[in-house]
Amino acid sequence: MALLEMRDICKSFSGVYANDHISLTVEKGEIHALLGENGAGKTTLVNILYGIYTADEGQVLWKGSPVDFHSPADAIASGIGMVQQHFSLVRRMSVLDNVIMNLQGNSFFLDRKASSRRLMELADKYGMHVDPQAMVCDLSVGEQQRVEILKALYRDVELLILDEPTGVLTPQETEHFFRILRTLKAEGYGILIITHRMSEIMEISDRVSILRDGRKAAELTTADTDPAELARYMIGRNLKEAYDLDQVSSQDALLTLENVCLQGGGRVRPVNDVSLTVHKGEILGIAGVEGNGQKELAEIVAGVKRCSSGRITLDGKDITDLNARRSYEAGISYISDDRLRDSLVTDMDVQENLILKEFRNEPFSTHRRMHFKAITKNAEEKVETYKIKTSGKGSVKTPVRLMSGGNQQKLIIARELTDSTVLVVASQPTRGLDIGATEFVRECLVSQRNAGKGVLLISADLEEILELSDRIAVVFGGRIVGILDRKDATEQQIGLLMGGIRQKEVGA
Amino acid sequence: MNRRRTAALDLLIIIALTLLVGSILILACGAGPGEALSLFVQGIFKNKSSMVEVLVKACPLILTSLGCAVAYRAGFFTIGAEGQFYIGAMVTTALSLGLTGVPGWLRIIIALAGGFVSGALWALIAAVLKARFDISEIIITIMLNYIAIYFLGYAVRSFLMDPAGNVPQSAKIPKDGQLQVLMQGTRFHAGILIAFCSVVIVWYILTRLTAGYELKVVGLNQRAASVNGISVIRNIILSAFLSGGLAALAGGIEVIAIQKKLLEGISGGCGYTAVLIALIAGNRPFGVLAASILYAAVQSGAGSMQRQLGVPSSIVNILIGTLVVLILAKDLFHPRRRSSGADTQKGGSGV
Repeated sequence: MALLEMRDICKSFSGVYANDHISLTVEKGEIHALLGENGAGKTTLVNILYGIYTADEGQVLWKGSPVDFHSPADAIASGIGMVQQHFSLVRRMSVLDNVIMNLQGNSFFLDRKASSRRLMELADKYGMHVDPQAMVCDLSVGEQQRVEILKALYRDVELLILDEPTGVLTPQETEHFFRILRTLKAEGYGILIITHRMSEIMEISDRVSILRDGRKAAELTTADTDPAELARYMIGRNLKEAYDLDQVSSQDALLTLENVCLQGGGRVRPVNDVSLTVHKGEILGIAGVEGNGQKELAEIVAGVKRCSSGRITLDGKDITDLNARRSYEAGISYISDDRLRDSLVTDMDVQENLILKEFRNEPFSTHRRMHFKAITKNAEEKVETYKIKTSGKGSVKTPVRLMSGGNQQKLIIARELTDSTVLVVASQPTRGLDIGATEFVRECLVSQRNAGKGVLLISADLEEILELSDRIAVVFGGRIVGILDRKDATEQQIGLLMGGIRQKEVGA
Repeated sequence: MNRRRTAALDLLIIIALTLLVGSILILACGAGPGEALSLFVQGIFKNKSSMVEVLVKACPLILTSLGCAVAYRAGFFTIGAEGQFYIGAMVTTALSLGLTGVPGWLRIIIALAGGFVSGALWALIAAVLKARFDISEIIITIMLNYIAIYFLGYAVRSFLMDPAGNVPQSAKIPKDGQLQVLMQGTRFHAGILIAFCSVVIVWYILTRLTAGYELKVVGLNQRAASVNGISVIRNIILSAFLSGGLAALAGGIEVIAIQKKLLEGISGGCGYTAVLIALIAGNRPFGVLAASILYAAVQSGAGSMQRQLGVPSSIVNILIGTLVVLILAKDLFHPRRRSSGADTQKGGSGV
């Protein structure tokens, strides 16, 4: 008897099937991977399992008997735990308080001592060392994830759902995380892991279910498959070959940063004495675990933030003190890592979002009067050129919030990459995108490079950095800890640098 | 789901519930709802004068609500129209009484313009605190209202008090400094035209000029505005300036067209009603125009109901309150939505 069985699950949103007769089983002591592009239905499926959504059709069997969860509390009470992609921890509370928060059977007075003892036992057993008294906000992302897992284990779950658990981890942290998973598996826990990284699936899972367009495309035993087959099922065709970056980039410096610092609120500088150069026709990749100053660095170059000291030049001109508007006018295009917050006004429509940078200029306005015909025409052209899918009859008056992430990103690229672009600052440009959209974005960046423009590519995705960059700079704690050439760089080496180990110690 | 049909259904439910509450209240004080309704309608449409009276009542509402709508578009949630109305009324009075050597038509222009600017500057206090230091504009504007309201009380007992009288009000505005009645036998004054023009001008700014586009971006996503080179501070200050000016203009017109002197309680609370009207109108200028006239009409009708039938006109305020609550809570009519989407789930659990 399977630990969990989902039978013919169907769920539709306003007439569109997100899940179309999906069946899935997880055994005790099994790691089952759920693979699929964004929008394939993975999240919907686990949300049904976890009681966040209700299925339109189908049945969930837990240890052989049918169950009907109305909320996550029901799921947890039955023994199903989930670690969300975005953690649900209270940052200004201690680890222990987070773990015992809202626990069934809490009495009016909390016995923190007993709880702490039990938490420590669990942590020791599975090699997840955390300090119960530490504040969550002081922990690294990897440690926070451990707290989330402990929180689930503390509630005696038997099945653990993990949604994109490795997205925010360094390679070394990922390794540690996998060791934990193997221990849990040996203890008989069932694990359902959602991921889009083939290498990790190959390494950790026993079986893999692949979803495509809301349907189950295949279920494979990991030992009998390979990444190419997985990819084929996932996108329905073969992956693109590697990008051709052989053409040597020029030696002309385009963007230079000299000793750029950003003073933060506390004693630590988010950006600390950064010097680097982007040449014409070059993609400079910035690798690093998120939160090590790369977002701030991107914002400084794009003029969103001003550096507290240092000097920045673009093509020989000093741009240190330019604001966002002047930076754009100087030729810097900015693709932010936070599309919805930074780059789009989601309640406005496609055509309004497309003129966010250029609305002051002809043909969109003259003497402060807007010209809606030109605005619509521009939008229709961009939608066609960039194949942006606006839901609702291809209309350019669709609110951006109704569009998929990939199409939103295409819209941003259509707006930002213009003829007058000199330098592209792209921060996590493919985050959360499906493979099709990811390929499109990468091709756009490479074609900018090949047209002799500069690209500053910031990404937490090492594969992406290695695939696209001419040179790779690694940041740690706001500093550049190493700059490597594409041909010398290995994932291992970058991983160590990302963990804060200096270049000479790595022995590059 | 058909969104338009849902909206129409919502509206029907809202109207039905409001009428139900109204009928119960009318029955409870011993009158017949049918009779009350007919007197209500008569109160509005009896003759030319009564219809014009609706516009007279709507005039200050149009201007103050328009001001609120402009501010809300930019994400500046001011409650300050009331105080700005008082400031405008005071400054317009002072200028009208003080500039004795100036011809009447010019005095009117200077007095209203002065009122506009003073209200705009008054609103800037909250705008600067909000834009520069992120201090809640809601609390600041409410406090500024108290200051303005009580400062008027102080003014009409001291430097603006009519030297010839001993009641707390200003001297009468000289005849040539008043806004004239344009239609014999009614109170149709030039200020109503100013309000109508303001609607058109604000509509043009908001929908046809780049300034309106900038305001909209700032109102919907401040972060995206600043990342894409639109100044949040500049736009909040601009919208507050316009917003305060319009509310103050309403105060000035009330003084030189209707009351012809400055006195306490001159706004009739229209600065607070304006918040509701802007909300109902979805911050759209022509929506504000329609909602203000509707509101004024309902008040006129209720007045006649009270005079002839003894039905308390407070009923109208109860009904308007009910209406606003129902409009804001209309998602409750669709319990099915709650289970299917994460965003409506938030709304469901928040109630």
